[in-house]
Amino acid sequence: MSGHKESILREPLITGNNITYAKITNDILLPVENKPNKAWWIGFILSLCGATLWVVAVSYTFWFGIGSWGLNKTVGWAWDITGFVWWVGIGHAGTLISAVLLLFRQNWRNSINRSAEAMTIFAVICAATYVVSHMGRPWLAYWVLPLPNQFGSLWVNFNSPLVWDMFAISTYFSVSLLFWYTGLLPDIATIRDRATGMRRKIYSIFSFGWSGNVKTWQRFEAVSLVLAGISTPLVLSVHTIVSMDFATSVIPGWHTTIFPPYFVAGAIFSGFAMVLTLLLVARKVLGLENYITMFHIESMNKIIILTGSIVGVAYLTEFFIAWYSGSEYEQYAFINRSTGPYWWAYWMMMTCNVISPQLLWFKKIRTNIPATWILSIVVNVGMWFERFVIIVTSLHRDYLPSSWAMFYPTWVDVSVFIGSIGLFFTLFLLFLRVLPSIAIAEVKLLLKSASEQAKLEQIKEGHLDKEQVAEYIESLDKFDSVKQEQYAKI
Amino acid sequence: MESNKRYWKGLEEYKNTPDFVENSKNEFAEPLPIEDVLNEAGLSTVTPRRDFLKALGFGLGAVTLAACQTAPVHKSIPYLIKPEEVVPGIPNYYVSSYNGQSVLVKTREGRPIKIEPNPNAGAFNTGTDAQTQASVLDLYDVSKLKGPLLKDSAGALSDSNWAAIDQFVKAELTKAQASGKKIRIVSSSINSPSTIAVVADFIVAYPATKHVQYDAISYTGIIKANENSFGKPVVPKYNFDKADLVVSFGADFLGTWISGEEFTAQYVSNRDYKSLKSGKMSRHFQFETGMSLTGTNADTRVPIKLSEEGPALIALYNAITGAGLAGGSLPANVTADKALKLVGKELLQNKGKALVVSGSNDVSTQILVNAINSAIGSYGTTIDLDNPNKRYSGNDAEFAELTNEMNRGEVAAVLFLDSNPVYDVANTKAFTDGLAKVGLKISFSDRKDETSTLCDVVAINHNYLESWGDASAYEGNYSIVQPTINPVFNSRQAEESLLNWSNGPVKEYYQYVRNNWESKILPVLGKTWVDVLQTGVFAGTPKAAGTYTFGLSLAAVIPSIINNSKALAKEGQIELQVYQSVAMRDGKHANNAFLQELPDPVSKVTWDNYIALAPKFADKLGYKEFDIVSVKDDKGYTIDLPVLIQPGQAQGTASIALGYGRTKVGKAGDNVGKNAYPFVSFTNGTYKYATTVSLTATGGRDELAQTQTHHSFEGRNIIREATFTEYKKNPSAGSGNEHGKHKSYDLWDKYEKPGNNWVMAIDLNACTGCGSCIVACNVENNIPVVGKDEVRRRREMHWIRIDRYYSFNVEGEGHAAEGEHGTGINAVTKEKEIAHLDNLDNVSVVHQPMLCQHCDHAPCETVCPVLATVHSSDGLNHMAYNRCVGTRYCANNCPYKVRRFNWFNYWNDSRFDNYLNNEFTQLVLNPDVTTRSRGVMEKCSMCIQRIQGGKLKAKIEKRPLKDGDIKMACQEACSANAIIFGDGNDPNSEVSKALRSERIYYVLEEINVQPGVGYMTKIRNTDTTVQA
Repeated sequence: MSGHKESILREPLITGNNITYAKITNDILLPVENKPNKAWWIGFILSLCGATLWVVAVSYTFWFGIGSWGLNKTVGWAWDITGFVWWVGIGHAGTLISAVLLLFRQNWRNSINRSAEAMTIFAVICAATYVVSHMGRPWLAYWVLPLPNQFGSLWVNFNSPLVWDMFAISTYFSVSLLFWYTGLLPDIATIRDRATGMRRKIYSIFSFGWSGNVKTWQRFEAVSLVLAGISTPLVLSVHTIVSMDFATSVIPGWHTTIFPPYFVAGAIFSGFAMVLTLLLVARKVLGLENYITMFHIESMNKIIILTGSIVGVAYLTEFFIAWYSGSEYEQYAFINRSTGPYWWAYWMMMTCNVISPQLLWFKKIRTNIPATWILSIVVNVGMWFERFVIIVTSLHRDYLPSSWAMFYPTWVDVSVFIGSIGLFFTLFLLFLRVLPSIAIAEVKLLLKSASEQAKLEQIKEGHLDKEQVAEYIESLDKFDSVKQEQYAKI
Repeated sequence: MESNKRYWKGLEEYKNTPDFVENSKNEFAEPLPIEDVLNEAGLSTVTPRRDFLKALGFGLGAVTLAACQTAPVHKSIPYLIKPEEVVPGIPNYYVSSYNGQSVLVKTREGRPIKIEPNPNAGAFNTGTDAQTQASVLDLYDVSKLKGPLLKDSAGALSDSNWAAIDQFVKAELTKAQASGKKIRIVSSSINSPSTIAVVADFIVAYPATKHVQYDAISYTGIIKANENSFGKPVVPKYNFDKADLVVSFGADFLGTWISGEEFTAQYVSNRDYKSLKSGKMSRHFQFETGMSLTGTNADTRVPIKLSEEGPALIALYNAITGAGLAGGSLPANVTADKALKLVGKELLQNKGKALVVSGSNDVSTQILVNAINSAIGSYGTTIDLDNPNKRYSGNDAEFAELTNEMNRGEVAAVLFLDSNPVYDVANTKAFTDGLAKVGLKISFSDRKDETSTLCDVVAINHNYLESWGDASAYEGNYSIVQPTINPVFNSRQAEESLLNWSNGPVKEYYQYVRNNWESKILPVLGKTWVDVLQTGVFAGTPKAAGTYTFGLSLAAVIPSIINNSKALAKEGQIELQVYQSVAMRDGKHANNAFLQELPDPVSKVTWDNYIALAPKFADKLGYKEFDIVSVKDDKGYTIDLPVLIQPGQAQGTASIALGYGRTKVGKAGDNVGKNAYPFVSFTNGTYKYATTVSLTATGGRDELAQTQTHHSFEGRNIIREATFTEYKKNPSAGSGNEHGKHKSYDLWDKYEKPGNNWVMAIDLNACTGCGSCIVACNVENNIPVVGKDEVRRRREMHWIRIDRYYSFNVEGEGHAAEGEHGTGINAVTKEKEIAHLDNLDNVSVVHQPMLCQHCDHAPCETVCPVLATVHSSDGLNHMAYNRCVGTRYCANNCPYKVRRFNWFNYWNDSRFDNYLNNEFTQLVLNPDVTTRSRGVMEKCSMCIQRIQGGKLKAKIEKRPLKDGDIKMACQEACSANAIIFGDGNDPNSEVSKALRSERIYYVLEEINVQPGVGYMTKIRNTDTTVQA
């Protein structure tokens, strides 16, 4: 991969001068091998407070019962399943980046896959906590697993989307974990080799005896591809199955065949937004601008605008089909969404998911870091509202008007959600401290071919088409990590 | 034979080496490496596999032992000597009576757990009302006193014993008698022959005694009017079953008026599916102020102000008789005027088959009603004065006089029997002031209530389930009250106390009742005492109902009516109606949590009273729903209540329910709502439940706990209705059941349903919406009461609910239901369209009982991850509580929203201590139905315990199940027979016949969930010429 020279028209994936393999290792391992800075501590303490809130709120729920949430006889799911779907969706970008982009040989993924996969795992953990805590009797959560048992050989209901869900989420979690960890092996070995004492022992254990010889690398590559192959269908299947929790029901607003593709697009949409939210901060604080470049940011923004538009089309399609179906219940469900008591949630969703991402059509905006960061958060707010709209506004007014009700969250609902965000960031910040946030080995692959300095060398050699070179140099304008002055004289 | 064989363990032993000899002295041949193991070196060595396994084994064992925590011990003491009649697990039934109605009391292992109607009790004793169903809970009320109270030397009520009380009371009564002052027994109406005899005996012992009867809800007006008109001071027996035309002026005869449960059965017999099948349906006009349960069932309901009721009756009288009495015009109410003319015409057409009733307690008004009924020939047919209703015999004037006597200091002793006047009289202050002047005050109340706390003696009475007694609801009709449990607390029956104090020859009340029956009643009936205990009720041969003609002049009556009317129509004041709510009635049972949580049939409010205002009128006054307003009458009594917007309430009027605002009734009922009794006024010798008030905003807001907050059915065909005219042309009008068949299509093979297929039919024309099924279901299935806050969060647990929808009839507006279900009923049913209507007075109501539909394609079943809800081969949707993990997916996916989730441990969580969080009250639980823990879904099981019980009984008796062997709790409680349950596989069962009706439709059948409960269309016998 690294032997050939890449077309000059391609934008560099690593910027900066005098980047060596050693410098890459040093740069990336900076947060792992040094004491944390103030920014990390502030973030960590805030996140830890959130995680503590989560522990308090979930313990309160376990102690007193689900009644401490705002649910009622009509609205049986609200913030819990909204949070669950939101987190599962966020996880999707990680798998897409690590698996699908690997299969398509999109090398730019090498800089962001590690963090994205970590994010996937932590997001799925947050989602899984909802799966357990939303149950009326969480201590019996294992009953949804098809375990051999002595309850009279009771089996699970394979017709139930919740059982599919259980399979989907657990498969997803285990495959993601495996993929992530496999990718980590050479990097853990790198830390091991540079560490001493206790650290060395610990990293030694976790590197599984990585030796770095050719055979190991060869097998590593093979395993990565195999795992990518296994993960790829999961990108589609997990959220498809999550969407079936709703699509296979009889409730107007849920019973919709468009849900699987619409949910998958939404998941990728929110996942990339979350990757951006995290990495835009991380690259600044950890000084990784040379490895996570404007090219990455712009690419992700392009995916966001694509998936956001798919989601927007899905929203409109739902409306059209509701009208076209002629079913009064279906029609009412959608009219109620946009004009009923929860109209504000619907329009929040529409604004955040469909309208505001259209700003990314402007290059100025999608290459502007603060703007991108704000939009990435707006997207995740919008995606939370999307799930809230689907779940609550469909349930609260379904078939029999006598049972129509409103849902009002309690402090516990809010705390569990805010707490899950705290839990997520706690895990992510710990990850930044103990493991490399960028796949060192994989980034090194790009140095000889796709880095700015390699390309500069090429230009200096002077065999390249002048127009292409000019175009390349122009493309570098947007990079905040490129020293523009060195191109002034060329 | 001695063996010379020798066994050796090794060569060392065989050779007997010196080492071996040395070692064999020790217990262990080789030294154990204890030191080595315990020193550091030993610990740091690599753990050998065997040590690891040992540690593992020990650890596992230790943890297992540690986990063997002693389970909580629940003592259950078996019978040492088993009572002959008690078989554990088999219920016993005893006949008894409640409020004069003969009932069956179901007991399990010696404790009463359910009340059912006595099947021996005649044609219209087909169900029980909610109060009767809930009454079993009163027995297990922890707020009751555990023993009698006597005033101690410090003047405070303190625990006492019966001997001390008897000594004290006898001495005091003798003193009172000797003082020449008066002794008064104050009670609500008593129809028990034995109690009346006891009181008579008491009067003989203490001749200064007079028995004053008064009812919190008085019917003195009717009694006095009948005395005036026909010389019969009685509440007559009304025969709604004989009336083809019923016209009611503010009488809630299906709910709270006189005996609603019986009237319901009579009324519905002219309107249910059997009657319709024979082509007959009565017509019902209701003219009233507040929207009553009866009003919701009327074919034509016209809102009139309280002040218009008198003029309306005069107008009707004029229309019927052609008389030209003055004051019979309603210039401000064109609709009512038009309707009255029509009603007058129809009454004349239905002479002898019509009935006019009025809810007024005004003597003059009731005299006018008598005149009208006489003119349309009601006496002898729909009204029977010769076999009168003896439930009510109170005399308001006598009670008012008692207050005066007490205030004048003429009363030496007063005994309160089944009465609580400090709470429920209009002028509380005058009464308590007077009471303070009475020397001896005795209450027979079972608790420290508003009156008994002011007494010197609280001689706590038995609950009726602990009592002997009798009742006579109608002249010549006798029923027995027999105990079904030993007295739980140290209480004594009030009659026994009176017998003791009057020093009669018989002091035991059982003996007294028996003597009374054997000497006075049984000889007439020709029965024995054992017959009484088995049958429970005897109706003697009723007297022939005489025809009575009203022959008096109305000259004195009319001005009085007009004056009353003018007094209510004060400028700038709002006419206030105080009424009994269907759930709470007069407030005597305010501590009954089942009743507090029973939604009002019309407003669906629980746990509160409120001030009902018409939508347009509230707009005019500037109040929104749930705004707290201050209600002040001209005497200065003020209460703050939240506003309820009530369509159908007459403009310019307000309604407030009585029975709330108890302060000393117990932990469930204390301070629920506000007391409206002080709004009652005493004029012309009777209590009037109408007054004028002014309202002021307080700025506060209090959300009422309603079980239904959306009130229109949005044009959905979940409700299907037709007019009687259409029905006569085409019986399937409106039902969409044109060819008598409901086709369903399946992608899958159908499951066989061998044996039984349990299904249900519900007649929307019979259901009045009263809600007694809800309480019956609560009691039968141990459904927890969750309290006001939880209801407000929409978490009530009722397995059966009654959905009540309003629609509005406006000439030229609205849509007929679309498509094949089209009918001639033009009603506006969509919330958005209703918001634009100018006139919201012409409201139609439909009540739809909703419970688990036991769908054959149940959406709940497919989504449960753990198979906790599954289908049975006999057509039921089962719920396995033990398997449920509580994902709530089933409830979300239920299109009928009938599944209920246990959000908390309602029966064992101190935050929801409404009634059940103590071992005593838990005795009310039905042992055949498990209580559900927190986190578990529940729903209607079609009383599966009853189905199993019925099957087992048939099996023991070696016979097949018969139709009617198994009855649902809701079905049994329903006076209207609106619920029909049975085996759909049996083509001759009642339910199969009902389900073949052309009126049958299935709610949401279009989503192909194949529900097992069929509904019959609502038929309205409307007259389209009357439109608001």
